[in-house]
Amino acid sequence: MSAMPGVVAINTFREAVRDRVLYNLVFFALLMIGAAIIMGQISIGIERLVIVNLGLSAISIFGLVMAIFIGVGLVYKEIEKRTLYSLLAKPIRRWEFLVGKYAGLVLTLVINTAFMTLGLAAALLVVGRPFAHGDGSILIAIYFILLSLALVTAIAIFFSCFSSPMLSTLFTLGIYITGIFAGDIRNFGALTKNFFLKGATSVLYYLVPNFHNFNSIAAAAHGEAIPLALIWQNTLYALMYIALLLVASSAVFSRRNLK
Amino acid sequence: MTAVPLLFVALFVLQKLIDARTRTEAQAEEELLLSSPSAIKKMSLGYDGLLADVYWTRAVQYYGTRLGEHRQTYNLLWPLLDITTTLDPKIIPVYHFGAIFLAEPVVGANRPDLALKLVKRGVAANPTVWGLYSDLGFLYYWHFRDYKDAAAAYLAGSETPQGPAWMKIMAARMNQKLGSIDTSLMIWSQIYNSHTDPNIRKLALKTLRGLKAQKDEQTIEGLADQYRQRFGHYPASMAALREAGYVRGVPVDPDGYPYVLGPDGKASLDPHSTVIIPKVPTTPPPPPVN
Repeated sequence: MSAMPGVVAINTFREAVRDRVLYNLVFFALLMIGAAIIMGQISIGIERLVIVNLGLSAISIFGLVMAIFIGVGLVYKEIEKRTLYSLLAKPIRRWEFLVGKYAGLVLTLVINTAFMTLGLAAALLVVGRPFAHGDGSILIAIYFILLSLALVTAIAIFFSCFSSPMLSTLFTLGIYITGIFAGDIRNFGALTKNFFLKGATSVLYYLVPNFHNFNSIAAAAHGEAIPLALIWQNTLYALMYIALLLVASSAVFSRRNLK
Repeated sequence: MTAVPLLFVALFVLQKLIDARTRTEAQAEEELLLSSPSAIKKMSLGYDGLLADVYWTRAVQYYGTRLGEHRQTYNLLWPLLDITTTLDPKIIPVYHFGAIFLAEPVVGANRPDLALKLVKRGVAANPTVWGLYSDLGFLYYWHFRDYKDAAAAYLAGSETPQGPAWMKIMAARMNQKLGSIDTSLMIWSQIYNSHTDPNIRKLALKTLRGLKAQKDEQTIEGLADQYRQRFGHYPASMAALREAGYVRGVPVDPDGYPYVLGPDGKASLDPHSTVIIPKVPTTPPPPPVN
């Protein structure tokens, strides 16, 4: 395998830094400091819980916004600015370019999340709660958020291969929300007693990425242990889905007429 | 550039006018945009924990505002607590404090039935948390005078992994139907020590002072009875009781005022005392909601 995807990934990350994407960390820091100071004053008995819930939710939401809004423009922007043509004139295959772009955005998300995790740890120290044994589940919850963000990025890139950023955003958001409600959709089908509807909702349940799998914020907030089996199962699930989406994206992008 | 602040001022005035035309802030405060806990949970898109924290904070603010203004309506308290515990059934402080907010007659919604419903929900979701059984036992004992269920709650709490030994004692007392002042003192001391909220601690301290005075009065009345058995009549005053050697010094209430002994042998508080003897329900309470 050539080193080209790595080069594209590094450049994608540099571009994100140049675009001041990591400025969201300042907002995250202000949010955590504000919450740490205010919650003790206006609520009762949930200072630590609020910090963990707010921190993990913010990591997830900020990451989601970045994954979708940057992800849908990754390929489109290169075509629009016509920089893709000069890139593809070099010894790089289209799938390598795509995988590189994907890896670059995931690297940006990982670094962004790592800084937010440090911010969350600092906020927990500010509210005067030393780290306890159950706090390991916070790190697992962050890992699960990262897996879901990597999956969302893959969906965004897939749509950006053949659609405009606006439509890609809508499609990605639509799939993300459907993925959250996948279980409910299947339950709804089962309640109807209609054979076809039941079958259709069951197919949909297994077809769309189940984002509910990756949500362990509540367990982490209450210091509950997260089963170790869930870590490898979620990792495998995300990797398989990402591989599937990147293969599909590469197939679409390779066949696309760029003239 | 000077137009910017002027425009902001104009916007502020305009918004005030719109508010006056549409509805008052007070009316808005009494409404919940969404009242179905399960619908709110679905719409939270997985961020139900954070939303639960927001609703709990809102409940605390709602209670605190009403407490400060001596408003007696707490119509939104139960819906707010209901939504909070549906969004996150594992936030223990919501049951712990919410039960007091709901149950107390003077400084709360005076709805012990809803408090019981809330704490039962908490026990079902967190069966190993002994503090919730303690809250349940307290509600059965203090608000419903239901010794049987109070004993069962305290016993169940004592059997949890970290259940303290005193809960077994409470269960035994309840089984003997010892609804005594000592039992009440023990429970309210536990409430005082286990809560951090200043309002609840203030309420607990106030009740403890009242219970202490009630216990003192009972002791004085017992001594007055002994005096009557010896002399054939009740002592005319506390001084007579003291002169006969039944008490040493001048017994005072938690405010520092001497107790007053009536000609019928009944002890009472000085009119200037701020101590309030807790009112024990004399009529049967409403049946608990399951």
